[in-house]
Amino acid sequence: MIYVFGILLIISFIRQKDQLLKIKKNLILFMVLSLGGIGLGIVHMVSPHIPTIAFVLEKYLK
Amino acid sequence: MNKPLTMRQVIFMYLFLSLSPILRQIPSALANEGGRSGYLSPVWSLIALLPLTAIVIFLIRLYPGLNIYEIMDNLVGKVFAKCIIFLYLLWVILYLASKMNAFALTLQFTLMPKTRSDFFMTIMLVLVYYALLKGSKTIFRFSELALGPVMVLIGILFVCALGILRTDYLLPVSTFNLPSTIKASKNVVAVGGNIIIVLFFADKFAISISKKNMRKFWFGAILFVGLSFVITIFTFGITGPSLAANLPFPFYITVKSISFFNIFERFEVLVTMICILSDFIGISIMFSIMTKCIQWLFGITDRGFLFIPLAIIIFYLTYFVSTTQFEYRFLYKNIILNLNLIFQYIIPFLLGLMCLLKRKHIKKQY
Repeated sequence: MIYVFGILLIISFIRQKDQLLKIKKNLILFMVLSLGGIGLGIVHMVSPHIPTIAFVLEKYLK
Repeated sequence: MNKPLTMRQVIFMYLFLSLSPILRQIPSALANEGGRSGYLSPVWSLIALLPLTAIVIFLIRLYPGLNIYEIMDNLVGKVFAKCIIFLYLLWVILYLASKMNAFALTLQFTLMPKTRSDFFMTIMLVLVYYALLKGSKTIFRFSELALGPVMVLIGILFVCALGILRTDYLLPVSTFNLPSTIKASKNVVAVGGNIIIVLFFADKFAISISKKNMRKFWFGAILFVGLSFVITIFTFGITGPSLAANLPFPFYITVKSISFFNIFERFEVLVTMICILSDFIGISIMFSIMTKCIQWLFGITDRGFLFIPLAIIIFYLTYFVSTTQFEYRFLYKNIILNLNLIFQYIIPFLLGLMCLLKRKHIKKQY
């Protein structure tokens, strides 16, 4: 799935490149969000059974 | 598509968006906390929901043509407004991730138990992306179009179910049960509070809104409570409160035993469809709010380039927030419910209070 998302990000970048390259803020925001998404994807790919927030909270709240 | 939003569209969106929690979470939660008399809880929720509706109407009338960020900007200043919007952004992200999980779990529980959740989530995100590309007005118009048939369907189901309702599951109710039903009403209140979503789109209304249009807000809030009440009575009266308390989707099981004059049956597929449509509206609207929050926070003019990166974040975040039915139930009951109460009631209440205090100054300004 992460490869599909990577390709989608590149397509999105190419389609919106005028808007992204013209305003620096847009480009930074796009890059930060994309890296965040891909980062989460890599973490999920490396360890798919990582404990969820709900699981951790349940463990400590109960 | 450039016409202003109508009150009808906004209220229909609110009702449609609330349908899936009404069908999925409310009966089970009320059975759990309120027991046999839990179906009375929607009535108590009016005590919180009507003042919230009054606050929303008050804010819209006092600040015509302004959205929640602009209202907060006027009331508390830019820095504080951005801080609150940032908190709203975090809430919306968590809400979206859990909603995506709820949607996938519903489909796995009802129709396709062997299909992986990432398939459902991908399909939903593609649909949401397409809807958002067409503009948020498309989502409002879809709600306007689809809510009528859905209400007719629920009405038919109710008529068909009247014959098999068991009064011994619903009665007797005594004053002894009242405290638990009042406490359980927070489950209804937390869903009904979605009416504050209207404030995020308030800049898309026409500047002058008539009293007749404002009355639609009251109608929406009362219809929401009526729907919650009817669906809960349905579920308790057919499935029984003790079984409803332990099922993840008791209304689905309830509808399994309903038939249309012994000719047509298996309406449960239609219930799943209603939930899917409602989740689609909910996720689309929340996605739109998320992009709006980022737009306000960073002062950007266009939101189109945010859709794909945010969709990826929400997709993967769903796996980190909750994955199983048990985890989702725990998260909803302990975290999301309480966060909903803060963001849907406490913050708008404080805004309303500040508006009241600064009313004279505001009236001079507009």
